[in-house]
Amino acid sequence: MNPTILIARKEGGELLMSGRGLAWLLALSIIMSVLCLLLVSNTELSLLDNAQVVYMVMGTVTALGALLAIVIGSDALAGERERGSLIPLLLAPVTPSQIVFGKLGGQVAGWIVMYLLSLPYVWAVGSSGQNLTQAVAYLALFGTPVVLGFGFLGIALSARLGSVRPALLTSLITLMLLASPLLLGPSLRQSTIGRLFDAVNPFSAAINTFDSVVIDSQPLTMQITRFAVTLVWLVMTAAFAIRSMRKMEI
Amino acid sequence: MLMEISKLKLNLGTHAVLRDVNLTLHKGQIYGLLGPNGAGKSTTISVVTGLRPPTTGSVRVLGLDPASETLQLHRRIGVLAEQAGFYDWMSAGDYLRWTANLYQIKLDQSEIIRLLERMGLDGKSPAAISTYSLGMRQRLGLARALINQPELLILDEPTNGLDPRGRREIHDVLLDLSVNHGIGILLCTHLLDDVDRLCTRIGIISLGQTILEGAIADLLSAQSTTARYRIRVEPGKVPERLPAGITLLTRSGDWWHVEIASQIEPADAWHSLLNEGLRIDEIHRASGGLEELYMSATEVKEVAV
Repeated sequence: MNPTILIARKEGGELLMSGRGLAWLLALSIIMSVLCLLLVSNTELSLLDNAQVVYMVMGTVTALGALLAIVIGSDALAGERERGSLIPLLLAPVTPSQIVFGKLGGQVAGWIVMYLLSLPYVWAVGSSGQNLTQAVAYLALFGTPVVLGFGFLGIALSARLGSVRPALLTSLITLMLLASPLLLGPSLRQSTIGRLFDAVNPFSAAINTFDSVVIDSQPLTMQITRFAVTLVWLVMTAAFAIRSMRKMEI
Repeated sequence: MLMEISKLKLNLGTHAVLRDVNLTLHKGQIYGLLGPNGAGKSTTISVVTGLRPPTTGSVRVLGLDPASETLQLHRRIGVLAEQAGFYDWMSAGDYLRWTANLYQIKLDQSEIIRLLERMGLDGKSPAAISTYSLGMRQRLGLARALINQPELLILDEPTNGLDPRGRREIHDVLLDLSVNHGIGILLCTHLLDDVDRLCTRIGIISLGQTILEGAIADLLSAQSTTARYRIRVEPGKVPERLPAGITLLTRSGDWWHVEIASQIEPADAWHSLLNEGLRIDEIHRASGGLEELYMSATEVKEVAV
């Protein structure tokens, strides 16, 4: 079996079978349940347009997926180093790229489960409205590169910083920075700097696409540039992770 | 030749960690790499295993350059690193199977059980590695190092955490690998007893520099160190004179503290004492030999620097 798949299977299995992984999925379920309950039952929030509600759920799932990816990524190499299991892995006939892509297995498994878990919630809040199918498809298409990009970023920082805590902290700050469009008001995002930031920010690309597709019913052809931004993000973070792995201090 | 290191230097940042390391290891030989803490032993291992490229100098392991032919090298060597970490949630059997797959080796259940039992572990145990003691983890680490049937074993403190019986068992395994299978072993250790029992050749590193290297017998004779022994002799018996080369240092009841000159084999010394009509009931080594050699070598180095 290819070493990448072997490592990925181990990482995915470890996450999903461990208390850590199950606790994360339970937390996700609780967050999504509370959010959806508020969206359909709260007096003010229930007045939101159906598509608006689906858009909010999609943004939340992407943000939580990115958060899970950086938590797992930050532990990927630095955690193994701290537990003493990294050196045996480095001494096996495996290339740094194979280790990095294998390590992404945990994030891929976590994201797939999160995505599947979010579908009933998306359906629950959006089944009576328009563009539900598009919402499900675009969450996979745009959410995946954004989330896995954060996974690579976590792995890269884990290799660069050599310790879980600083890697996690730096990844979290980066996530907060890139996810800030969710927190900023529309007027700030319309400023020159806001628009420039939106144009190159993969998180914004995904969120703006969800807005464009689900709320404004715009076609895929209008999302090409944003999709390219998410792909560039994925490729750049992957290259950063591989380079960091090669330069990792043992 | 399995390993040849010549004039190895390694700088980490501005700090020269290795300054002049030299080492030669042949097939079937057990080589003891000795030195005080922080001397550069583990760093030398990281260079010969390709984890760090050398700054200057020549390093050839199994005819390969570890820095550029890393994967080929990793397929042919087995390493037990100082920090032997595992995936603690796996059982030992599952872990070895996973590691074997990483090497693209197919091992069936019976082979895994045999390998674990050879190391003194229960091959069928479903217990997670997290429940293992330090000694059991060392044994598992050694089993892992042997998974790919390596031509060269590199072991960093392999008997660390083992009880005397466990150490003896691991010694026997290493001697078997060396003598019967021709595997070369680079043994990095603090325990001179391990070296005394296993190694034929040693290198002593201090402050990133090889200060002594060669066959133990040659080094001991060149060093001209005297050996000191405590012997218990027949009560009340005192010969008029001791044989040449044997000096009585102190006497306390039946116990004598004697020094034997380096050119005399201990067995010959005991024989000559017996010829003098002295009955020897017990012999204990007090100092000299490898320990003396190590102490004087590292002491001289520290004074020189």
